[in-house]
Amino acid sequence: MQDELTTGYSAQAAALKGTVPGADDLRAQAMTDFGTHGFPHARAEDWRYSDLKALRANVYAPAEAPEAMPTIPASMGDTAARFVFVNGRYQEDLSDLGDLWQAASIRPLANHFTSNAARLDELVRGEDGVSLLNTALLRDGMVISVPAGVEVDDPVEIVHVMTEAAGRAAHLRHVIELGEGAKLSVFERFIGDDSAYWQNIILQARIAEGANLGHIRLQEEGASALHTAKVYANVDAVGEYRCANMTAGGKMARFEAHVRLLGEEAHATVDGVALTATGQVHDTLTHVNHVVPFATSDQIFRTVADARGKTSFAGKVTVAKDAQKTAADQSFKALVFDRTAEANAKPELEIFADDVKCSHGATVGELDAKAIFYLTSRGIDPVTARRMLVEAFTAGALERVAFDEIRDAMMDRIGTWMATRADRAIPEVREA
Amino acid sequence: MLNIKDLHVSVGDKEIVKGLNLEIKAGETHAIMGLNGAGKSTLAAAIAGRDDYEVTSGSIEFGGKDMLALEPHERVGEGLFLGFQYPVEIPGVSNLNFLRTALNSVRKYRGEAEMSAAEFMKLVREKAKALNMDPEMLKRFVNVGFSGGEKKRNEMVQMAVLDPKLAILDETDSGLDIDALKTVAEGINTQRRKDTAILLITHYQRLLSYVQPDVVHVMIDGRIVKSGGKELALELEEKGYADVA
Ligand SMILES: Nc1ncnc2c1ncn2[C@@H]1O[C@H](COP(=O)(O)OP(=O)(O)OP(=O)(O)O)[C@@H](O)[C@H]1O
Ligand SMILES: [Mg+2]
Repeated sequence: MQDELTTGYSAQAAALKGTVPGADDLRAQAMTDFGTHGFPHARAEDWRYSDLKALRANVYAPAEAPEAMPTIPASMGDTAARFVFVNGRYQEDLSDLGDLWQAASIRPLANHFTSNAARLDELVRGEDGVSLLNTALLRDGMVISVPAGVEVDDPVEIVHVMTEAAGRAAHLRHVIELGEGAKLSVFERFIGDDSAYWQNIILQARIAEGANLGHIRLQEEGASALHTAKVYANVDAVGEYRCANMTAGGKMARFEAHVRLLGEEAHATVDGVALTATGQVHDTLTHVNHVVPFATSDQIFRTVADARGKTSFAGKVTVAKDAQKTAADQSFKALVFDRTAEANAKPELEIFADDVKCSHGATVGELDAKAIFYLTSRGIDPVTARRMLVEAFTAGALERVAFDEIRDAMMDRIGTWMATRADRAIPEVREA
Repeated sequence: MLNIKDLHVSVGDKEIVKGLNLEIKAGETHAIMGLNGAGKSTLAAAIAGRDDYEVTSGSIEFGGKDMLALEPHERVGEGLFLGFQYPVEIPGVSNLNFLRTALNSVRKYRGEAEMSAAEFMKLVREKAKALNMDPEMLKRFVNVGFSGGEKKRNEMVQMAVLDPKLAILDETDSGLDIDALKTVAEGINTQRRKDTAILLITHYQRLLSYVQPDVVHVMIDGRIVKSGGKELALELEEKGYADVA
């Protein structure tokens, strides 16, 4: 099958030649590497919980424009700009540049390398089949560069929609560049219909000294979707990267955040909630790399899995030999509704410095029957009681979402998700 | 109001309540006293409907309704309240949110409209004040980090807000300092009306000197073995269970 995959995707890469001027060699190299590596093996340590069967068995054709444009959901609150991508292609008609164009430089990925070939070196090339393919099939994405000292207050919303795309894939790449002291918030949304598509996306960010990037993700892909997403953030001194991710959709979804703290007093928060319904697989992997002294990081993840849902969190923190006075915290808690739900946790600390404060905690538990009884003994019905407990359980991981409308909408998603589980108000084990 | 006949309750394989009869009429206050492990809290939990406490036989009727056919929250809607011996901590849920959801759930069950936020705040502040509870505690997570006495007082605030027909108070007096005991006793006395009833579970005569019961029951090994007037409590305190029962 690997030969068929290589042949199929090589043809796709060849057809894209010239679509991103300056990137052809890079594309070709990534394709060659893909041929060598293929997709990660099912037993590869970092990929054990991701189900890539569909990727290994099919060549996903490039997604094409749908016959009918889907309706795009309204923004959640004020936005600085709104970019809409349907089936992996930018939709100018559906987008709104707002005031952002006055504050920042905005361009499609296709124009990113023409004026400045040095940018090729900054492009993340990928280290496994999934990301290599994203590079090999590079075509569209948004590049936002905020000049030094410019602060954009409202979030920039990027909406990704997939529709009528069974057996097809989108490989998007967004690039965010913040100059010294610049500030930006990016809110990415992912939605889609029930077709079995593959959304494969990378967002890479460079955060210069004292700059601040907020990154919120709301992943509500269609029920048959495959979603693979990676974030790469490089943070300079006193810079900040703040990520909050909500994973709810897809049949199989994987989110990776790779953060490198490259300057002293750089700070990163990487938070997330996963709501994993029956039959879904959600895999989260974070790697925060403390390269220099005095940088700090903090991660809060909460996952909730219904019967036969499978959720995994692997959180790695690396502290380099010179990175003294690092402070890194990580808290992971999983809630499973019954014994058929699966939650895996793999915190991993790689510490080469000796004067650091690092902590991590991971727990897996069920809803507290005593708490449910206490709530119901005050007249609250069991469905509401369970919803309140799940909201309370997850809320801590969304507290750092800086925009009330978005945070409220995310909390609403949790309430709705619990309401759709009303029939499971009383925990029980059902046979598959 | 409450009518319990030949009640048997098991936890796991173990029978704990073994044929208990109890009748409480509107306007009455009853007290149950008994040795540790006699099954008092088990009885209270069974009346409230905790699902791991299995009623193997007998009946519980409340306000003419078969309680055993109702879920715990429905029993509350019918006017039942259980003050917990060990109130539960619920991290992440604020006291206010908890109380408001509870009150509106009960109102919904009774076909009444939701209470507005302003009306609710007024009610809660008033009840908290009457029970000497710092209003700041209303914003905190339910019982998290509360002292033993604060938790009991919080139970009383919940009772006052929900205004039940029958309040079963399981050792609400234990862990309270003398001043708090008086405040809580006043709270209970406020709840005593012609149309309400109270069932106190306690080990101490002291509470009963503030909240004078009409009937005192002695519970031993899953049964009520003796009932009498309020003087029975005094007698128990003097002579102990072995001589009285
Ligand atoms: N969930 C449970 N699992 C196992 N045993 C239980 C459980 N609940 C109660 N019991 C047992 O049932 C018996 C009665 O307990 P219960 O709490 O009803 O006593 P009590 O009369 O309230 O005692 P106390 O005065 O100490 O509060 C005890 O032996 C107790 O260990
Ligand atoms: Mg007890």
